Amino acid sequence: MALDGLLANLALGLSVAATMQNLMWCLMGAVIGTAVGVLPGVGPVATMALLLPVTYVLPADGALIMLAGIYYGAQYGGSTTAILVNLPGESSSVVTTLDGYQMARQGRAGPALAIAAIGSFFAGCVATILIAAAAPPLTRLAQQFAPADYFSLMVLGLVFSIVLARGSIIKAFGMVFLGMLLGLVGTDVNTGNLRFTFGISDLFDGLGFVPLAMGIFGIAEIIANLTNPERRDLVSSKVSNLWPSREDFRRSRGPILRGTILGSVLGLLPGGGAVLGSFSAYTLEKKVSKTPEKFGTGMIEGVAGPESANNAAAQTSFIPMLTLGIPSNAVMAMMIGGMMIHGIIPGPQVMEQRPGLFWGMIVSMWFGNLMLIILNLPMIGLWVRLLLVPYRLLAIAVLFFCCIGVYSLNNSANEVLFIAGFGLLGYLLIKLDCEPAPLLLGFILGPMMEVYMRRAMLLSRGDPWVFFQRPLSFAFLILAGILLLLVVLPAIRKGRETAFQE
Amino acid sequence: MRRREFLTMAGAAAVTSFSIPRATAQVANWPERPVRCIIPYAPGGGSDLIGRPWAEALSQTFGQQFVVENRGGAGGMIGTEAVAKAPPDGYTLLATPGATLTVLPHLRKAPYDATKFVPCGRTGDFVTGFSINAQVGPKTFAEMLDYAKKNPGKLSYGSAGLATATHLRLEMLKFKAGIDILHVPYRGSADALNDLLPNNVQMMNEINNIPHVKAGKLHLLNINDTQRHWDFPDIPTLTELGYPDSDVPIWYSIQGPPGMPQEIAEKLNAAMVKLAQTDDMKSKLRAVSASLPVQSTKQIAEFFAADSQRNADLIKAAKVKLE
Repeated sequence: MALDGLLANLALGLSVAATMQNLMWCLMGAVIGTAVGVLPGVGPVATMALLLPVTYVLPADGALIMLAGIYYGAQYGGSTTAILVNLPGESSSVVTTLDGYQMARQGRAGPALAIAAIGSFFAGCVATILIAAAAPPLTRLAQQFAPADYFSLMVLGLVFSIVLARGSIIKAFGMVFLGMLLGLVGTDVNTGNLRFTFGISDLFDGLGFVPLAMGIFGIAEIIANLTNPERRDLVSSKVSNLWPSREDFRRSRGPILRGTILGSVLGLLPGGGAVLGSFSAYTLEKKVSKTPEKFGTGMIEGVAGPESANNAAAQTSFIPMLTLGIPSNAVMAMMIGGMMIHGIIPGPQVMEQRPGLFWGMIVSMWFGNLMLIILNLPMIGLWVRLLLVPYRLLAIAVLFFCCIGVYSLNNSANEVLFIAGFGLLGYLLIKLDCEPAPLLLGFILGPMMEVYMRRAMLLSRGDPWVFFQRPLSFAFLILAGILLLLVVLPAIRKGRETAFQE
Repeated sequence: MRRREFLTMAGAAAVTSFSIPRATAQVANWPERPVRCIIPYAPGGGSDLIGRPWAEALSQTFGQQFVVENRGGAGGMIGTEAVAKAPPDGYTLLATPGATLTVLPHLRKAPYDATKFVPCGRTGDFVTGFSINAQVGPKTFAEMLDYAKKNPGKLSYGSAGLATATHLRLEMLKFKAGIDILHVPYRGSADALNDLLPNNVQMMNEINNIPHVKAGKLHLLNINDTQRHWDFPDIPTLTELGYPDSDVPIWYSIQGPPGMPQEIAEKLNAAMVKLAQTDDMKSKLRAVSASLPVQSTKQIAEFFAADSQRNADLIKAAKVKLE
């Protein structure tokens, strides 16, 4: 019965995803994603922020399929440059440089790339099935959520994003709260009061998500990259002998499987995602290996595990977004932005009201992964050439699209000024070593939390015990409290710091 | 001072006398280029459901594109203000629900004078009624009243936001029936429906309830309109239930900016009246649970004034306030 339903859903998804148009958007997303994955300094978050206004003219399903493609496409692209030129195109492929580049130096770039792609493909397939299987029951659960439960879940999410942020805890706290403060700008839902709007009518509905994200992620990254001298030591090593040996396959089987499982689980966590997945998978492989000392010298396990994990995590992080409407990381926040632009309020109702969109997007992920593996393996040489585009030209093009994109969203010149302002703020944050991702999560979750908290209080007729009386809400709050306590305890904090330094 | 005033006046006079002949020619040939129809809400909402088929039909009638542009924000005030400030040449129009013009100005300081807009044509009225989650118990309007009286303050009602027509509908019900129901404002009706279905709030009054009424999850208690709903012939209207003139209608219209020549409004009205009688338009609107009243510009102006007055009276009598 459950299987029948799953198959019927996947069939519906197939009918949406397999249309010529949507296949094209999927391909486009995958190609753009690979390109930004290859290019260091242009990440999927910035790219999605840039393309959000463009998706406005697309049908909702095409837009979301493309945006999703950018995310998992970037995971593929990032590994290519990590292996070939020791430049992680994405933060999630940082660990791939450790063993991948060593393999390339030993003339085994081909097998490293192939294993990375095969591992990613396997992980992508498993994660797609996982999403399809887990989404309906989770959605049914989510439909029982009351405002109090949402509030507590978001508290937990923000605490997670603090725990998992790199660098100083204090700074991560600060970023979350700064994001929440920025989120408070606009009209208060319950009273209609205007807050921090300074009489500017563009602010009546709050700061726009797109200008904020574009400024802090896109513009700030460009400024930061331009201040660093270009570093492009392109080792145009010939990629020969692509296919891994039987021995390579045997050694990679375990890491791919473990990486997929670990990545799938970590992707579900709020604040988790691809980066966390790849780091943890590398650590895990090192732990289970009989020869941990050999890691860093070109072990294929050190490529297979993290690359599978980051792709699995990239995809399972869609689950909380699709079923609860809660973003687990900055990329999912972008996806939510993309849905809102099309008038879709993310949450448990999406699956019921827009089944075609929901299942179409899931099935498209499988198509996307297939396209990526077919397209990318033969085209690796071409992608690496992208690194030859001088950054000063790329930067101007990106800035140009940012401005047009933001203006076209609301036809508001003020919002173009906002991205300039947020760009400067973002650059300042980079210089101060403050990670912007918690800020973005705070910005998205803060106002949602406020609304849910006040709604819960309104419905409980002012009784704050409602947060402790509902079992779900209580459990989330307890978990958040424990996490917070753990991270503040000195012993564990030290452990966390060394873990992130690795 | 004097001199400057004089100069300004003389200048203004010169401009006016100069532009009259040109303006007349422009009016006669309207529309010569694409017309922007601003919807003062984000895309995907009820205004789109009604506005988009109209934009399509008007484009065909006039041979010029009627382009729909969503400018949401501040409960509709931002888009409405943009049209109020647009040149009144007939190339920028407002496709709006009544609330931005007949509800908001009574509750908030609106940055425009709602009475100065030039009505062109009605585009449709959403037909729905109060619905209640089936888990609560009451199945009819009378049962709901009974329940509310026996359990004062126990029922909650979700609205699409403060100072919207759905908010006033609750205030009207509370005031006329003398019952106590908690008002919970949401950001739009889709958000409210999310809490209605798991019974976190118990009541709503919006068209997006209709599919769930048909699925049996909600009970429709009444129809707001003076006539019954074509899909629910058994559900009585508020008038039939003994509450005449107690609806806050969700009615949509196309309005020109203040100062737009009446000729353009009449030209548009004539075309819209004709379109409103086509089966195609009727069925498109019925599909989104909207009826289609046909009115001349004069009738719309009268309807508008009456709607605005009734809302003002209600807000005063029921002491509705935004803090």
